[in-house]
Amino acid sequence: MTAPTTTGLAQELAAAVDELRRVTVRVQANGAAASGAGVLWDPAGDDTRALVITNAHVATRAQATIRLSDGAVARARVVARDRKRDLAALELDLELEPHTPAGFAHVRDAAPLRVGELVIAVGHPGDMSGAAALGIVHTVGGDRAGGTPQWVRADLRLAPGFSGGPLADASGRLIGINTMMHGGLALAVPVTLVESWLRRAQAPAAS
Amino acid sequence: MTALLESLSNELAAAVESGGRAVVAIHARRRIPASGVHWRSGVIVATNHTITRDDNITVTLPDGTTASVSLAGRDPSTDLAVLKLAGQNLATANLRLDPSPSVGEFVIALGRPGPRLTASWGVVSSVAGAWRTWQGAEIDSLLRLDLSIYDGFSGGPLIDATGRVLGINTSGLARGTPVTIPVATVERTVGELLERGAIRRAYLGIGTQPVRVPPSLARRLELTNTLGLLIASVEPGGPADRDGVLLGDVLLELGGAEVSDPTDVLVQLGGDRVGRPIAARVIRGGQVKTLQVTPGERPESRAA
Repeated sequence: MTAPTTTGLAQELAAAVDELRRVTVRVQANGAAASGAGVLWDPAGDDTRALVITNAHVATRAQATIRLSDGAVARARVVARDRKRDLAALELDLELEPHTPAGFAHVRDAAPLRVGELVIAVGHPGDMSGAAALGIVHTVGGDRAGGTPQWVRADLRLAPGFSGGPLADASGRLIGINTMMHGGLALAVPVTLVESWLRRAQAPAAS
Repeated sequence: MTALLESLSNELAAAVESGGRAVVAIHARRRIPASGVHWRSGVIVATNHTITRDDNITVTLPDGTTASVSLAGRDPSTDLAVLKLAGQNLATANLRLDPSPSVGEFVIALGRPGPRLTASWGVVSSVAGAWRTWQGAEIDSLLRLDLSIYDGFSGGPLIDATGRVLGINTSGLARGTPVTIPVATVERTVGELLERGAIRRAYLGIGTQPVRVPPSLARRLELTNTLGLLIASVEPGGPADRDGVLLGDVLLELGGAEVSDPTDVLVQLGGDRVGRPIAARVIRGGQVKTLQVTPGERPESRAA
């Protein structure tokens, strides 16, 4: 038998995961035993600086070692951390090439999430690097009517080591930062909250 | 290029949206609400175990508004309950009676444990024939899912990739393991609950356990079946007690059918057997004896 749709899907999924892996790093806080994941983020949109966004519970120290997907290792320092949001931003010391193969995450614009749409997570559970998980959006909307959702909730299995890594849609665009499992659901900080948090947090870091 | 991946994602979201138009939240217990499906116009199907009160039941509709409903009937044996909703213009579920689900088919479980619709996805992991719940109801087929069920999913629908309903999900029939009650079973139960408010089942008031008849006795009595059911309890004043069934009898046949498992007794106790004598062949004191027993109507939460 031939299965053009399934074969095509498998190829596209593999390609999308490959793309995501390029913007996913391993974050090892200096002196910490466990490591997590992080997302390469272009703060200015001009490749002049490179940030790594991860969870505050991953970047627990002022310094961290970052391993890029191509194996390159860089040092990074925390430029913003918010334990309540569980977000941290680190600035890479490495001078990235203007057209570095690592690239930066593509952020999904304001298009609202739909319940049931596909989501892809990439992280580094245990000894594995760049592991992928596939799921769907479990629910949308705030905890209170009209409120901004605090989490993207996904029907998806995350293992420790996915923390801080990307949650992306079917087009590979970033929709959240994977943070924890709760009640059987994967919770990710919505990318819109990451952006607004960065705008506030970055001002002192830029000086 | 992610054209196929995006199509799959859009189709899944569209199925959820379409199926979700008939999914409501049921407020009939403490803590979190459960789910229900607008099955036919004005008729909502929910799970019995998530409805802990008979009055003051409300539902949250997909548009976020709240409406009062009345309990039309409930059936603990299938874990289904039927609620009536008046004066609302709400989409009804698109039911898929045929074809039956296939192993490996994509499925989505929907719920509304509050104002928001929730979804989880997976595949049908096995499809088997009819089975009986511990309270004796026949469920047309056993659907096992490779899928996570979250709090408040009970009463929600299992839908296919096009949003059509394959059944009602419940965690209340198999010790917390999610089970889908197929559309055919729901249809039958809803019809009877709307008509009578309850599902009629016959019962004898006995507890049994399988035993093997000693070979020497089986030879002497010329039994073809060496398995039987030991009468391990007799409800005082119950139908079997009234008709002379004794503790320690070994039941061999009921209604002309050999019995070797407690569910074989349930098979003989459909609602139409209430009040109609049935032959029970037993071993008593080393002899085979045939008794006539007349099943009564089973009170709630009794098995055989």
